[in-house]
Amino acid sequence: MAKKTYLQALNEAMRLEMERDADVFIIGEDVGKFGGCFGVTQGLFDKFGSERVIDTPITESAIVGAAVGSAVSGLRPVAELMFVDFIGCALDQLFNQGAKMRYMFGGKAKVPMTLRMPQGAGVCAAAQHSQSLEAWFMHIPGIKVAIPSTPYDAKGLLISAIREDNPVIFLEHKMLYGVEGEVPDESYTIPLGKADVKREGADVTVVATSRMVHSALEAAETLAASGISVEVVDPRSLQPLDSDTIVESVKKTHALVVAHEAVGFAGPGAEIIAQVAEKALDYLDAPVKRVAAPFCPVPFSPPLEQAFIPGADAIVAAVKSLR
Amino acid sequence: MKSPDKKVLLSMFGTMHKIRAFETACQEFFAAGKIPGFVHLYLGEEAVATGACATLRKTDMITSTHRGHGHCLAKGGDLKFMMAEIFGRKTGYCKGKGGSMHIADVHIGILGANGIVGGGGPLAAGAALSSKYRKSDTVTVCFFGDGASNQGTTQEALNLASAWKLPLVFINENNGYGISCPQSKSMAITDIADRASAYDMPGVVVDGNDVLAVYEAVSEAVNRARQGKGPSLLECKTYRWRGHFEGDPTVYRPESELKEWMAKDPIPRFAKKLLDSKQATQAELDAIVGGVKKEVEEAVAFAESSPYPELADLLEDVYA
Amino acid sequence: MWLDESIPVRFSLPAGHETGIDCVSSAISQEGDVLLTVGIIANPVSGKDIRRLVAYGSVFDNQEKVRIIRRILTGLVAAGVTRVMYMPDSQCMVSRALENIEAPMEVEEMDMHMENTQDDSIHAARKMEAAGVSAIVVLGGDGTSRAVRKGAPNTPLLPVSTGTNNVFPAMMEATVAGLAAGIVATGRFPLERTCCRASILDVYIDGEAVDIALVDVAVYDGMFTGSRAVWDMDMVPQVFFSRCRADVIGMSAVGGQLERILPEEPRGLALDLCPPSTDVPVVTAAIAPGRFASVGIMRRVEMLPGQDCPVTISPCLLAVDGEREVEVGEGRRASVRLNPDGVWVIDVPKVMELARSAGFFVS
Repeated sequence: MAKKTYLQALNEAMRLEMERDADVFIIGEDVGKFGGCFGVTQGLFDKFGSERVIDTPITESAIVGAAVGSAVSGLRPVAELMFVDFIGCALDQLFNQGAKMRYMFGGKAKVPMTLRMPQGAGVCAAAQHSQSLEAWFMHIPGIKVAIPSTPYDAKGLLISAIREDNPVIFLEHKMLYGVEGEVPDESYTIPLGKADVKREGADVTVVATSRMVHSALEAAETLAASGISVEVVDPRSLQPLDSDTIVESVKKTHALVVAHEAVGFAGPGAEIIAQVAEKALDYLDAPVKRVAAPFCPVPFSPPLEQAFIPGADAIVAAVKSLR
Repeated sequence: MKSPDKKVLLSMFGTMHKIRAFETACQEFFAAGKIPGFVHLYLGEEAVATGACATLRKTDMITSTHRGHGHCLAKGGDLKFMMAEIFGRKTGYCKGKGGSMHIADVHIGILGANGIVGGGGPLAAGAALSSKYRKSDTVTVCFFGDGASNQGTTQEALNLASAWKLPLVFINENNGYGISCPQSKSMAITDIADRASAYDMPGVVVDGNDVLAVYEAVSEAVNRARQGKGPSLLECKTYRWRGHFEGDPTVYRPESELKEWMAKDPIPRFAKKLLDSKQATQAELDAIVGGVKKEVEEAVAFAESSPYPELADLLEDVYA
Repeated sequence: MWLDESIPVRFSLPAGHETGIDCVSSAISQEGDVLLTVGIIANPVSGKDIRRLVAYGSVFDNQEKVRIIRRILTGLVAAGVTRVMYMPDSQCMVSRALENIEAPMEVEEMDMHMENTQDDSIHAARKMEAAGVSAIVVLGGDGTSRAVRKGAPNTPLLPVSTGTNNVFPAMMEATVAGLAAGIVATGRFPLERTCCRASILDVYIDGEAVDIALVDVAVYDGMFTGSRAVWDMDMVPQVFFSRCRADVIGMSAVGGQLERILPEEPRGLALDLCPPSTDVPVVTAAIAPGRFASVGIMRRVEMLPGQDCPVTISPCLLAVDGEREVEVGEGRRASVRLNPDGVWVIDVPKVMELARSAGFFVS
């Protein structure tokens, strides 16, 4: 199997789906010849042309709205916003229009669209280009939320997202674009709503998303040296959320740490912990812990930004505090 | 262009009456407490939806507004399913989950009424993009009000449509008020059509109470769009007879203004033209009015006798 | 009407107000308390019709009309006009124009009921003439001027174009136009020297005068006024012109390619049209901005003053000055007659030349 980066895996997923289905197209700011703000769509314009890789003005409402409108009228758009932070400009089109159409119309419409948005801190892009906003999208019935951590997952989840008949928010972490991993050349899907146990362990469950999966694996390695066996669970999608896999893991380890880069307060971890509390509270032998960003905007200055981003050390500390 | 033939003329007359009778029934049953929620009636504005949709094919698409009953009826929406939806019944277009503000039938190109003022513009751009992408000659009409014309979404849609020459016709229904706010207080300009030139598209002011003027202007705009020549903006000046919603006391507008506009009622005006031009006899018109009345009565009976959704339906249709 | 109550609609400033504009002509004295009144009728809906869609008609937004009114007002003041009366319009254009300038003149918004139709211009013009205004400045297209002429047949008009393809109103710089209208209003020169007496067309149905046209009457083979404009020449079997020139835009350009008839000439032109073919002369003309049409000329007749020229079909519509307006029912007999005593039109270059030779603006 070939080694590919997360970015290449995403690119390959879009290429394969566009080859497979003429209704799939890409729409967004600078996605064409420029290849996308982070280069995720590079080469697709040359291969598929301007009619299928559509550069837009800087007009987020119209990008998301055009994706919804073209999806409800039969196409399968893959829209890109340069940064998840820009969804603020387009929220109505997403959560009042795209998300609710099917329900409002009594199930007689479908909205097969994917909205790709890079998120996360780490490049000194400050408060309006670095957030992790997955909790916002999890809260809206009608949309699904995918948040891949590895190149393999990125490709399989994106292909699933494109084939979904519902709006899918696809959250990529900009610090993961260069991460390499094994990715098959052929097309494959990973179902939304299926968590992946990234490392098996016996003593504590760490549920981590996106870039924090890598921090969790690093922490697990460190903790293994101290004789603590960590199980790392990556939900891979937050809506639907595979709480079964998480609960099963907790039933085995009797301890839970949740790690994400979104701020902790009312973050995605709150929902994960609530699910475990509802379904497996009696199995817990220790209080649960959250490893998350502090409750402040993402700062600019490198030392401040590094202090903002939770890392492997924080996970190690959280796990050790349980014992 | 040639005048519309008799079949089209009588069909438009029927549609206007259908909207009038349907909305009058909604007014009555809302007052009687039989219709839940908010209802925004299209009374007085019938000529706009009628004249516009008479130029469209079944495969053409529309995006509508919170004041959407007229658009849906004119585009071919079924009275029974519409009325049942407004009554919140399981047999309604949306199985009772959408209500008055969300009636849709995507199979005949009705991409939905919309509870968000200005929500439809970007959606319409997307629908028109579909037509262009598929190299089909279908056209999308975006209905929006004077209030919506001040929303950023509308301006983004106008810009995108003109930059990409989308097959899209923007039909502004200027009824003079955004809820209680008169146009003079919500914008410094007087004709929303003037905004078209900023997007290098034709902008035309149309008498929105003259169904034939609307028909003619929209025909030209639709043909232009079908031929790949891009979008147009038509501003139809009209007036809503009722308040923004049923129950609105309309303290913000003088009674005399309403009277003036009611004197310009588009329906008798059109009837007179049909009779004067000998395109129809009074007996023919009476038969149409009678038929429509019966259709609306049947729709109400259908709605009233239909069951409410089952509680188990609550979680259905969130996802495909 | 969606009037903003905060916009002042009636106010006056004392003559000789210290700031802003003032009478600049040393030759024009303001004679005591005698008020020199000019009327202003501005049509808020001109320049918006379907010809922006079916042709390439220019977009004339109302903000520009407001600026034109401001320029006209400064011209009127400079000429010594001391009072302006104006038609209220739904868009408050004149009151908006007055907001940003200080005009030392008495300003009266006419107290009239507005229908927001062409009839408003007719009623306003009639009242202005009755009130003895010395001239009326008209902002609009051919249709607006026509309405004003209907209401005020004896008052000199200054038609300033804000329409689409105008033949009657001219494109002109509004400051100078206002100045010229003001000079005519002072009455220092006889109308014969400052104005052109233009012929018009009277429209009759069954022998009764029902309407007029300033420039042209087109017979439209359809039943409905619809969006009013005429752009499909296949629908037009017959046209009548009170004037025509090769260098104009619009219906009268068809006649203009055949001959030149000046507005003051006591003759007109009637044409029977047919689809272009090799059997007849074919004229190609710009019938709307950016839109050409070719028509066959089946018959060509000079119209003499008062001569009754029949419309050959019924039912039909008559488009007067480019707008479908008059319905001719089945079996009714319509006809058109040239009326050489049509309308006084202020000739700006002529007026300004007279003023120059009289040294009006030289001290």
